[in-house]
Amino acid sequence: MNELRIAGTTSTPTIHCTSVPPCVRLQGDSYPENAFELYQPLMHWLQAHLDAADATLRMELELVYLNTSSVRVMMDVFDLLEEAHRSGKSVSVRWYYDPRNERVAELAEEFKEDLSLPFEILPHP
Amino acid sequence: MKRSASQDAEIEALLANADYVGHPLHDALTSLYRQLQDQVRQLDRVTRISDGFQSAARREAGSLTERLNKQVRQLEKIARISDGYQTMLQDLNKRLEHESTHDPLTGLANRRLALSRLLQWTAGSGALLCVALVDVDHFKQINDLQGHEAGDRALVTIAERLLDPAGGAHLVARWGGEEFLLIWTGIDLAQAEQQAQCLREKVQAELPGGNGESFHCTASFGLARWQPGEAIDALLRRADAAVYAAKHAGRNQVRVAP
Repeated sequence: MNELRIAGTTSTPTIHCTSVPPCVRLQGDSYPENAFELYQPLMHWLQAHLDAADATLRMELELVYLNTSSVRVMMDVFDLLEEAHRSGKSVSVRWYYDPRNERVAELAEEFKEDLSLPFEILPHP
Repeated sequence: MKRSASQDAEIEALLANADYVGHPLHDALTSLYRQLQDQVRQLDRVTRISDGFQSAARREAGSLTERLNKQVRQLEKIARISDGYQTMLQDLNKRLEHESTHDPLTGLANRRLALSRLLQWTAGSGALLCVALVDVDHFKQINDLQGHEAGDRALVTIAERLLDPAGGAHLVARWGGEEFLLIWTGIDLAQAEQQAQCLREKVQAELPGGNGESFHCTASFGLARWQPGEAIDALLRRADAAVYAAKHAGRNQVRVAP
């Protein structure tokens, strides 16, 4: 599958998806004018990737600020991953945060709530 | 009126009895009884269908309620997380504002905040306001002989002493390298001079040096009273000239600008 790479801006995160290794990275702030438009290629990539019977995926996040529609999109992303996890696929999330801004970790905890897939929240090394 | 099974059995038995066949009432009753049975069957059917619709509607309503509840829970979660991000932004803004108006070493107000307060407090024409520029004596020597860390520690200690409530300053700011600015409002020059003398005495002290030995630290104060209509620059130039005079006269003293 093709690699997906969307360069970040001050208001949008860098999005980088690779099939080999199966990994999705999101890095930066997210307050785009239209979150659904921005994240549509990512959603399509994820759906196609996770459709494969033997799909595995690791998601690495370094997101700092999310506006409301980005929060909504991230919940949809996690729902997709959760569905894959429940159907026996190996998917996991690692959310890195700056230890000087503990609030990001608290908010990542809120996203993690209700999910059963492996979801780690770690300070930046 | 409710029909019972025994009533039905009794009627069936009477109609089946050959003795009554041919009786004019027998045919009429037979026809009426068949009509009744048809109507009961139809009623049962209608009731069954109606019950079926009712339970389907109940199931549908149940699943709609479930879906609605799920969406409400999702919306609540989105709102909760989003509120969290707004609070985070507000906190970051406050932190940035504090960082842009305070000195990271001493925690005192910086030059930007001091200037903004001076402009604010001199906006009224009749305001009583005095300032003192404070310059640490021989600071270069402290840095050269005791090391920069000891120099930084000295600045932190001096900042703490200038904040002493006995000095009564409304604002204590780090003006630059080894210079501080004190602002008093609501007191005249004579009172400000007393406060400045009090702070000068508090500032002079033995401080631990970088080489294990302690060293003596003092500061020179240049005091000026704001004259209504005077530009802030002019006020500060007079205070600066008074510091220069204090240095020239031997340091560790307060000089009042004319």
